[in-house]
Amino acid sequence: MWRYIIRRIFLQGIPVLLGFTFLLYLLLTIAPGSPVSHLRGVPNVDPSVIAQREAQLGINESFPVQYGKWLIRTLKGDLGLSFDSARRPVSELIMERMPATILLSVCSIIVGWGIGIPVGILSARYQYSIFDYIITFLAFVGISVPSFFFGLVLLYVFALRLNVLPAGGFFLAGEVRTFVGYFQYLILPTLTLGLSSIASVARYMRSSLLEVIGQDFLRTARAKGLSENVVVYKHALRNALLPILTLMGFMIPSIFSGAVIVENIFAWPGLGSLAIQAVNERNYPVIMGINLMFAVLIFIGSLIADISYAVVDPRIRYE
Amino acid sequence: MKKSMLAALILCLVFGAVAAAQEPVKGGTFRYALTTNPRGMFNPVLYTEAYDSYIINVVYDGLIDIDENLQPQPKVAKSWELSEDGTSITFYLHEGIKFHDGVELTAHDVAYTYMVMLHPEYTGVRYGNFKVLSGAEDYKAGLTDTVPGIEVIDDYTIKFSTDEPYAPLLVQFGYGILPSHLLAHIPVGELETADFNRNPIGSGPFKFVEFLTDQHVLLEANQDYFFGAPNIDTLVFQRVALDALPIYIRQGRVDYAEISPENYAEVSRINGIDTYIYEALNYSYIAFNLRQERFNDPIVRQAITYGFDRETYVEILREGFGIVANAPMPPSSWAYTNEGINEYPYNPELAAQMLADAGWKPGAGGVLEKDGMRLEFDLLVPEGSRTTEQMVLLFQQNMEDIGIKVNLVFMEFSAAVDRVDAREFDTFTMSWSLTVDPDPYGIWHSSVPWNDPGFYNDRSDELIEMGRTETDPEKRKEIYAEWQRLINYELPTMFLNYGVTIAAISDRVKGIETNPGPTGPLVDLNKLSTIWIED
Repeated sequence: MWRYIIRRIFLQGIPVLLGFTFLLYLLLTIAPGSPVSHLRGVPNVDPSVIAQREAQLGINESFPVQYGKWLIRTLKGDLGLSFDSARRPVSELIMERMPATILLSVCSIIVGWGIGIPVGILSARYQYSIFDYIITFLAFVGISVPSFFFGLVLLYVFALRLNVLPAGGFFLAGEVRTFVGYFQYLILPTLTLGLSSIASVARYMRSSLLEVIGQDFLRTARAKGLSENVVVYKHALRNALLPILTLMGFMIPSIFSGAVIVENIFAWPGLGSLAIQAVNERNYPVIMGINLMFAVLIFIGSLIADISYAVVDPRIRYE
Repeated sequence: MKKSMLAALILCLVFGAVAAAQEPVKGGTFRYALTTNPRGMFNPVLYTEAYDSYIINVVYDGLIDIDENLQPQPKVAKSWELSEDGTSITFYLHEGIKFHDGVELTAHDVAYTYMVMLHPEYTGVRYGNFKVLSGAEDYKAGLTDTVPGIEVIDDYTIKFSTDEPYAPLLVQFGYGILPSHLLAHIPVGELETADFNRNPIGSGPFKFVEFLTDQHVLLEANQDYFFGAPNIDTLVFQRVALDALPIYIRQGRVDYAEISPENYAEVSRINGIDTYIYEALNYSYIAFNLRQERFNDPIVRQAITYGFDRETYVEILREGFGIVANAPMPPSSWAYTNEGINEYPYNPELAAQMLADAGWKPGAGGVLEKDGMRLEFDLLVPEGSRTTEQMVLLFQQNMEDIGIKVNLVFMEFSAAVDRVDAREFDTFTMSWSLTVDPDPYGIWHSSVPWNDPGFYNDRSDELIEMGRTETDPEKRKEIYAEWQRLINYELPTMFLNYGVTIAAISDRVKGIETNPGPTGPLVDLNKLSTIWIED
């Protein structure tokens, strides 16, 4: 097992990450637009200043040189300085926003899985009932509705019309940070971000459970005279949950990237607005830093998923 | 009888309330909505984003302030003196102004602030504003260690001089003065990463308290402020999501916000919120690439302008939020003139006639042609503004009516800038924000790179140069009036509209400028030190 993990990291993970950063940096440099485009809007800016700025940022050099420098710095653990006027370290920009993004993501995972799993189970238990149809319909709606739209609807209803919740944002300056306060600020973005995972977890749970229910060993259990509830909740559920648990590993990265959009709608003080601003401004080091972090997360997520397969299913062994 | 008595009573009450309202009240928090997070570069010589400038404006004071009429007013400098020949300005500073750490502000701090912007290793973008100072270019190039154009006479007197008279200089002395005792030991090249920029210390009406990324910037009143402690205790710049801004205003979570025209109807209906619409110092335009022969004849540019229904664009598409523009100086500028300015009212028949008279004849597909040139061209449109996207559709349709084919090319903003910089465009639409001083050199002189249309006109250059060296405001105004008439005839770009800004402000806030000029009801935040909040 350990040999497998080490092989995955060194033979697969590192080459993939290298290739990914190489391609991303290449795309950034060949895409139209430049990190100094916005300086054009500064009144009276001297053309020599823009050339000087390009030299300071190192973007006047060729792609291999730029990428090489970035890579060497990154391998030393330094993600560089942001290209914007404040020139703050990228790692600092990311770290100060991480807690908010993690808080939002964890909450929406809890909501997504906490609601999605029971709903999926009931849906399978009462397959083809009215309840099942309603859930199936709602799940499709949940998967199809874009999160930004759902977010705006929630804002409209709860903040504007009913006026019971703040319209996004975070604590005002001087506001006491109570538990209820956190709840108020968190609930709308959490629901928005959690909606699509509720829907897809419920669908996965339903089909996974139905698959197990149709298997022979359950027919045996029923033949022994066990009640249907015991058959489903005790014997079938355990087996059906295995694939769902591994699904979590794959869904974590998508939760984080979904957070980028949702955070922008709700002015949530996480990575979202940093990421979007960086893309608009061609802020290479920040784009690289955030994407590298997401890439590592995705890699870890899929590694955990693979390992958990082996842990929960004794038939799977990695050599 | 009864009714009139009641009316009189009500009048008394109202006047009583008004009279009471004139007394400033101490205390309270003022919340200013920001829809974009500041960067945390709270340094007046290094910032580039408007959102950082808000904080800088209240933490630091400059030598001068700009008032609602865009005229310089004394601040740290209690007075100034222009030399006879117009080549130097001497500022006389107030004595006893203190930085927030208690150290006195002197002419040495002023000299430090302006020397930094000229330093060879300076990383900011303001060198262009002060390179006219005597010896600045040599200093920037590293040839000398001093700038003869910046001279500290004594602790409270400083003199700036130029080789030639340079009229736009004075109004540029508003930059916040840095405390040299805290910064002089840091190499100028490393200033941009100094911790100071995130914990600024100035001499302004508010002291910096905290900056929480993507949340807020918190400031407290400077009780020892030289020009009188502010009435409000706390000032907050609150980050708000753009979509949620009207809700924030309605919920009373912010006291002041700039809003977009789309939100105007909704916000202006909210009880307890006053809205102010005022002219902004900017204009938008469609530029022609004059390097192409087909755009060379001013008749073509004029015909296109006559042929575009700009009145409908401003009145309908912009819902009246804007003023049709015919020259590059907005009405809010003291240099603006409408004398002898052709307004090019929408007149497609005249446009078609002008083109026909100039020898353009319908060719393939009904598109006008002449000597192998064809009036079919691309219009580069930066994405992101719905109004602009509607405007170009109207333009395309109007042009089709007079035999001109416009192909719209939508592009992300910085990609469009790339194309413009490479001069790879037929026409494009963008807008310019202008400086307080009307000097058009930086955009329109034939020697500058921002002259995107490629407008090279000897008389224009001559007038622009005269305008810079003329120190008599009346004569300067005449020079710019003539220049505007020239541009209005030549139309190197088609001017679309001057912009307006809309501010929404809670009626609890008193002491604002109720008839705002281009600096708005808070006069570029200068009013924050004197407003008060009534509950």
